[in-house]
Amino acid sequence: MKKLAGKLVIVIFLAVMVAFTLYPVVYTLLGSVKSNLELQTGGSFFPGEWKFGNYAEAFEKAQFMKYTWNSVILSALTMIFSLITSSMAGYVVARHDFTGKKLLLAAYLSVMFIALGPITLYPQYMLMEALGLTGNLLGLALVLTGGQASNIFLVMGFIKSVPKELDESAVMEGASYFRIYATVILPLIRPILGVIALFSFRLAWNDYITSLVFSIPNQDMKPLTVAVVGLRYSANAAAELHIMTAGASIAIIPILIVYMFANRQFIGGLTAGAVKG
Amino acid sequence: MKPSVGKLFPKRQLYAMLAPNLLLFIGLTVYPIIWSLRYMLYDYDGIHPAGFIGLDNFIRLFTRDPIYWDSLINTLKYACGKLSLIIPLSFLIAMVLNIRFKGSAVLQAIIFSPTIMSSAVMALMFYLLFNVYNGDINRYLLAAGIIQEPINWLGSSLAMVSVVIVAVWGGIGNYMVYFLAGLQTIPKDIYESAEIDGVTYWQRLFKITIPMLGPVLRVILMLAILAAFQDIQSIMVMTEGGPLGKTQVVFLYLYQLFFPVSTSSPIKPEIGYGAAASVVTGLILGGITVIYLWISKKLDNIY
Repeated sequence: MKKLAGKLVIVIFLAVMVAFTLYPVVYTLLGSVKSNLELQTGGSFFPGEWKFGNYAEAFEKAQFMKYTWNSVILSALTMIFSLITSSMAGYVVARHDFTGKKLLLAAYLSVMFIALGPITLYPQYMLMEALGLTGNLLGLALVLTGGQASNIFLVMGFIKSVPKELDESAVMEGASYFRIYATVILPLIRPILGVIALFSFRLAWNDYITSLVFSIPNQDMKPLTVAVVGLRYSANAAAELHIMTAGASIAIIPILIVYMFANRQFIGGLTAGAVKG
Repeated sequence: MKPSVGKLFPKRQLYAMLAPNLLLFIGLTVYPIIWSLRYMLYDYDGIHPAGFIGLDNFIRLFTRDPIYWDSLINTLKYACGKLSLIIPLSFLIAMVLNIRFKGSAVLQAIIFSPTIMSSAVMALMFYLLFNVYNGDINRYLLAAGIIQEPINWLGSSLAMVSVVIVAVWGGIGNYMVYFLAGLQTIPKDIYESAEIDGVTYWQRLFKITIPMLGPVLRVILMLAILAAFQDIQSIMVMTEGGPLGKTQVVFLYLYQLFFPVSTSSPIKPEIGYGAAASVVTGLILGGITVIYLWISKKLDNIY
């Protein structure tokens, strides 16, 4: 009897947590096909009339096609930069001793444990401006790549589990250092590269503040998140809640689909990066 | 010991491979810190030439800026509120889901899912849910008879509670996964022998699980504290620090000194002052982190 009551408590607890987690997401997805009037008056949970035209309106009238494309490019660039820079650097640090290595690792580690928040944004912006990289997605992608010190530790940790004999036999064959990295190491560390790809894509796709600042001089490079949130501040925001919810759905649906296929990697990567690292 | 593979190659090649990452790190992390250390001594608005003013920014911060200190206190309130909910809840979920049953993997995936979505976009959706007259939250509470009239969630002193609820929603999956990883490091045979000895569930929880989780818990709390200091995206979207600065957290205030683009902040950027305030904030939050590590180390030694 007592055991049954305990089970019941657990089931109720889990049900409440799942409802709490899912409600805002389902609300957004269902809201994206409600009429504007229904959203404003806060009608029922399910749409009275399913208006899929909201998406067409968001894509055309609110230019969400362009912003979605910006987000895709931005996330892809950030992902590629993160993969290249962290895998090369991680390989060098894992396999080679050089002066200043300890200092370098300490510096990487310490910035992970200092709350820098948004205070680096202004100097970062000035630096990119000096390089002529503001107002385009390339500069923004570089900034989003630069902020991820944890990736180098993920790569390092993984390479340490790859036997050194593999490198050594490649040396015997006369391969250059870069060649060993490209042909021996890269294929072997694919799982951790997958994790870095997912995480850097997610970071860029979801970023709001950095993207907001970097798109000040060029509104045409706004990614999706900036455009969606921007609707809240626009003059006719209250009149266009249906576009806002449709926009929010366009921002979350792709990443939800990626997540459905890769949730093991997401969860595995998180634990590898944080608790063990 | 054999020489490492790298030793066989010219250093130039190694440095060339390290360079992209290193350059980004120096340019985007080290340089901004040095930049802040320089401009904290200047009066600079980003438009007119910067003028050296010595320690004036610090005098202003320590004597004439109550908003800053309020925002720091708000940050601590926010962090305490968030941690006191998110840590126990995520621990409980992890405890339950650590027992494998049909559907536990699905539940794990669902509870983790908020962490993969944009906090800014979801904050926008919570902004609708928290709406006074037609937001879903008030609607359900009214219908259930829990409240008699609509609550002004984001426009009253409850605003802090509202932003904490959103933070818990968005972060619980993270900590659940950390706790699950921690629970898996506890060897199963300890529980088995405890069970043979007739130890009750609660004794096992407090005498085995929690002490064994100690080191992991220390890291989790550390990460949670750091994350709470830095959460500003959702607060920025939901309240912009309002009403009347009640949810103004310190990093949001600093952001507004550099980029006064939102509707509630001053028009002119105060970059020199922002740099000084950033440095002080960095030192204060760093100090809190160090104190935490020191105290938690002592706690570790007790067990």
